[in-house]
Formats: sequence, C-alpha cells, structure tokens
Amino acid sequence: MKNSWIIALRELKERIGSRTFLITAILGPFVILSFLYLLFTYGGEGKQSWNVLVVDPKLPNCPAGLFGNKIMPSEDKTITYQFLNRYVEVEEFRDAPEFQNYDALIEINEKVLSNKICFVFFREKPSIKMQTRIHYQIERRLDEIMVQQKMNISIAEFRKIKQPLNLTYRDVYDPYDTSSDMRSWVGMFFGVVIIVFIFLFGMTILRSVSYEKSSRIAEVLLASVDSKSLMLGKIIGIGLAAFLQFAIWFTVIGIGLYFMREFFFPDIFDPSNFQFSNANEALPAVEYNAFVDLVFERLNLLNMLGFFLMFFIFSYLFYAAFFAAIGATAGSENDGQQFVLPLIMLLCFSVYSGYYAMQYPMSTFTDFLHYFPFTAPVVVMVKLAQGYEPGHGYELYLSLLTLILSGIIMLLIAGRLYKNGILQHGHRLNFIKLFRLLKKQ
Amino acid sequence: MLEIQNISKSFYRKVAIDNISMSVNSGEIFGLLGPNGAGKTTLIRIINRIIEPDRGSIKLNGELMRQHHLASVGYLPEERGLYRSMTVEEHAILLGRLRGLEKREVKTKLDEWLEKFEIQEWKKKRIEQLSKGMAQKVQFICTVLHDPNLLILDEPLSGFDPVNVDLINRELMAMKAEGKTIILSTHNMKSVEEICDRVALIHQAQKILEGKVSDLQEAAKKGEYAVKFQGNMIAFVNALWTGFEMIEKEVLGADRFVAKLKMRGENNFEDLLKTIMGQVKIEAAWEILPSMQDIFVQEVQSKNNMVHEE
Repeated sequence: MKNSWIIALRELKERIGSRTFLITAILGPFVILSFLYLLFTYGGEGKQSWNVLVVDPKLPNCPAGLFGNKIMPSEDKTITYQFLNRYVEVEEFRDAPEFQNYDALIEINEKVLSNKICFVFFREKPSIKMQTRIHYQIERRLDEIMVQQKMNISIAEFRKIKQPLNLTYRDVYDPYDTSSDMRSWVGMFFGVVIIVFIFLFGMTILRSVSYEKSSRIAEVLLASVDSKSLMLGKIIGIGLAAFLQFAIWFTVIGIGLYFMREFFFPDIFDPSNFQFSNANEALPAVEYNAFVDLVFERLNLLNMLGFFLMFFIFSYLFYAAFFAAIGATAGSENDGQQFVLPLIMLLCFSVYSGYYAMQYPMSTFTDFLHYFPFTAPVVVMVKLAQGYEPGHGYELYLSLLTLILSGIIMLLIAGRLYKNGILQHGHRLNFIKLFRLLKKQ
Repeated sequence: MLEIQNISKSFYRKVAIDNISMSVNSGEIFGLLGPNGAGKTTLIRIINRIIEPDRGSIKLNGELMRQHHLASVGYLPEERGLYRSMTVEEHAILLGRLRGLEKREVKTKLDEWLEKFEIQEWKKKRIEQLSKGMAQKVQFICTVLHDPNLLILDEPLSGFDPVNVDLINRELMAMKAEGKTIILSTHNMKSVEEICDRVALIHQAQKILEGKVSDLQEAAKKGEYAVKFQGNMIAFVNALWTGFEMIEKEVLGADRFVAKLKMRGENNFEDLLKTIMGQVKIEAAWEILPSMQDIFVQEVQSKNNMVHEE
C-alpha cells in the first residue's frame, strides 16, 4: 500500500502541475459562477429595466387622472413610469415617433376601481419578474385610491387586512410535485458534474496508463511494485487530483455564492432591501427569482453534498477500473478506441437516465437505473434532490452498496487485465484478446 | 545466491521458457546470452516477479523469492522508459522510494553517483532535455541507487558510446569487487568475455549451454595457434614443413606477419616454438581461443541444424 501511495502522490503532483489542471481549476468555477449570476439576474427572459407610459386621462374633478400622476412613493430602479393625461390609441403608441422610447403602455380608466381590468400593451414580452413587479405596483396604487375614496380606514390598516390567496395546483399522482420540481434539475446538475469529472479524469487514466505502457516505464515500476498496487496508485492519484479539482470548485463557487447573496441578491433574504418605503410592502422573495430561491433556500445542499461525495468517489473507482483496463490491454496508444467509445456512450446514457428519472420518477425502469452502477450516480442525485418517499430512504443506501460492490469487482477484473496486458505490445485489442488476458497467464 | 529451478512459461500456445534451471553464485557476473526471442527477457521478468511462471520456482539466498525481496534487486529492463516531464532528481526519488529508500537517502546517494559520473549539473534537468545516452546513464544510476545485492541488467550497454561502455563495465567490475551479484543479458560478446565469470546460453526457450567463460572457450578450442614474427615468409613456411599447417596469414608490414597454425601429429606448442626459433624473429605466440561470439554462433547453428534434421 505504501508503494501505491508513492505512485498516487506522483500522479497527483503531475496532474496539479499541468496547465490543463490549473486552467480548469481556476476557470471552471468562474464559468459556473458567471452562469449562475446570469441565471439569477436574468432568471426570466426580457429586458431588465422598463420605461412605461401610463395613459391616465383627465377626469372632471381630477386633472391629473385617477392615479394623480404617481404610482410609487419612491423611485424604482427597474421601472420608470411617465404619465400622459389623455387618450392614446394602441396604434398611435405603436407607431408614433414620440412613443418609441417606451417599452409598454398601461391604460387606466375610471372603471378600473370597480372592474379591476387593466391592460398593459408591450413591445417585447416582459419577464415574469417584471410582470409581477408591475402587477404589484399598479394594484398597490389602486388599493390606495380605493381606500382613499371608498373606505374609512387607513391604507396601513387595509394592508394588514388584505392577504393574497396562495392557490397552488398539484397533480393527484404526484402530490409532492417531485417530477416538475426544479430541484430535480439541481440533482441532475450534481449528477452531470460526477459524469463530467469521471469522463475527464477517466480519460486521464487511460492516457497515463497508455503512456507508461508505450514508453516502457511500466516495466521499470513493476520491478518494484506489483501491478495491482501500480494500477490502484494511479487511479487513487488521479482521483485525488479530481477530488482536489472539485474541492477548489466547491470552495470558489461557495464563496462566490456567499458574496452574491451578500452583495448582489440581498433582497431574497431581506425584503426591506426592496426600495419601498415600508418593509411590509415588499414583494415576497419567492416571486423575485425562482433560481435564487432554489439554490439558497429550498435545497438541502449539505445533505446532497455528502452523498454526492460518496457517489462521486465510488462511481469514479467503478469507471476508472474500465479506463485503466483499456489503457493496459490496448496494443498501442491509439488502440482501444473501439472500447472507449462504448464507455463514453455509457456515460452519455447515464446523463440521459438522469433526465429519464426526472420525467418518470416512479417508473420501474427508473428503479432499475437507480441501482444500475453505470447510471446510479446521476439517477440517485436526481432522486435525492426530489426527495425519497418516507420509508424509502434505504433505497439510497442500497444503491450505494451496489455501486461499492460493483466497483470492487471491476477493480479486481481490471487488476487482472492490467497485470496480464501492461507488458504486451503491438497487438490489436478485441474481445477475444480481452478474454484471453482475463484468464490467468 | 539465486537458484532458478525448472522454470517453464507459455503464452497461450507459444512456449517462452522450457524447463530452465540454473544458479547464479554470489559475487559473480553472470551472462545471459541468446538470440532475439530466445526467452531471456521472459526469464528476467520472472526473476523480477513481473510475470509468474507456469511451473518452477526461484530462490534468493535459499528463500523462495517474494515481493519484499525486490527491495534488494536492481533491474534495468531492455526497453526502459523515464517520465519525460520529471527531473533527474525527481525520478531518482520516485524509484528510490519505491525500493524502500527515504527521500534524504536518495538525495545523498544520487549526489554520489552524479559526482562519480561527473554529471552533477544534470540533477535538475528534465528527462526530455537529455540525450538518449544521457538518459541511459540516469537509468543506470536509478537502478543501482538503492545499493542492490542482485543486479539484473538487460542490454545495459546498448546505445552507449565506447567511452561510456567502458565506464559502465568498470562500474560493474567495481560492484562485483564489492560482492554484488550481477546478471547481464547482452549481445555485446566483447563485454561478456571481458567481465562475465559464467554464462548461460538460451535458445528456443531452452538452456543449451552453461559454464565459466574460460571453460567454454577451452572446450571449444580447435588447437589453433598464432605467431607474430619478423622475417622471411618462405623461410618460415619451410621451417614448418610437415609438422604444422598454416591456415591463414596476415601481413602487418614489410617482413612482419601474423600466421595462424594448426598442429599435425603429436606436435605441441613447444615443438612449434623450437621449430621456428632461429628462422624468424618471433614477436609473440599464443594459443587461439574461440571468442564468445564464435561459441554463440556455433551453438545456435548446431541447435538449429539438429531441429532441421529432426
């Protein structure tokens, strides 16, 4: 084991000294953080700041129209309201040069207080976030006017009484809304991270073993260390590099998310950060950005990370055995491609199986994929994000156990192939050759 | 020191080693000879536990060879490689630690060897910056760094220029003097004659010859002698008359020759000297021993002929 560790440390040192590792370690998390920032900022489609024309014609007793040329008590960074106290036809707004700077037109008439119907004519469809915000602000102003004109209570008292109805639609076959939940996508993301790491570092194992074989270093090493320890050391060393890479990603992304929360998206935790005069008037956080809410609020990230690490380690060992075996048994550095392709296809299939599990979480095939060691890491991550049904938590551990056992069996098989194949050169790898190498020589 | 007992190894239907037994004594340089594909490398790999034999056993100092014994073995394979991106020092540390040395010990021993070979400035160089010959020197140093008692060298001299061949030969002789045992697989017959105490010849997976270099040469000699002289060639030939037969002559210069002779009848070397003395000026005379090259070719050809006749 000591020699395996020496080999592992050499591999680790070589990997972390390589330019590719440094670039991936530094750029990777920043790319993901940038992606998350964009997702948080532009969670919905559409423009992020709007210039709105409010057409509020003069009333007999009110020359400034029903709204009195105001909507918000203070300025809103994202929406600018301009008022016009005359009628404007939609065609005129659409075509007239003086209205081209406006993104939307809100039409107000005196009946709005009773029928609560109001139209917003837009040039480009606003995001959900923008729609929610305008809806809220117009309604809020209407409440003020209504209370002022028709009630004998203060606006503050009215707002205390008024509570929005939270009406949620749920599928009777999926009362916990697991299948359509965005949490599944986060599980999928974790699963894909595992697969991407396995692919990147699996290929590194393949290349490294092939290089040692073709450059004949393997024989020098085998004179001091047995073949199984050599293979294991290589897999562990490259795995440590992958783990280190992941740890860097996790740390940088974690710090990045913390700073985003503190400096860029504080409103999701503190409603008073909205620029309203009264904290109680703030929009509920859930309406602000579903992605921000999902990442920071609704996922048990620590629990997911724990299982992510376990599945990451054991699925890496499982797949690494294949890559090492192919590298050791190939006749040359270019040989063995025909065996790498199916392995890559299996990796792609495991990504698809995660998507399948999202769509059909309760199907029998999903159950199979959940235990199938090739697909388990992604499917388990998806199911973990969705949440296991009460009393079914054991399935997670059963899948992990299956993966561990499969990994051990594969490492033993790969060890045999490695031993018998590492010093054989010049042949063309095929199934017959592979079968022969598997037998004791 | 090392006992190889009834080792056999086949790869599928191809027999690589066929019931080979031999022993290597402590403190000797043992030459493992044979044509390409004879099975030398397979035997060496079996000794190093890189591959397992189908039958037979290997004992080191009376004990069955195990993985832990490899710490006292130094192995330089025929097709050797180095990590191109690593420095000489890093390489030495890696291989030294795999053979049980501490990092500090490796550094000390590496410095000694670099100094001995006068290549201290290579220490921090990456392997890719070295020429093939330089890299081979580094490989040799890495093989002997842990001061092994048994050294197995597969073609250690290939790729070296004559100066470095001489350097390595001298080092091997020095190690032998220290009591180290060396197994040398090589095609360089001159080195075999110069430094090997005993040899074994492997051909077509079998051992066909084993013994001391001097004994093998003695056994293979054909009773031929050489005389280097100054004088008249006709007078020399006349003196030989019917007692000796001249096989070959080489002209060295004006009236200077080397003649190759064979005895006739009961004549011996002393009779020859008596016969020619006074006829020509003798500069040197010696018995011609067959070279290891000759023995090698002769044995291999005779084995091949036997196979064809069968």
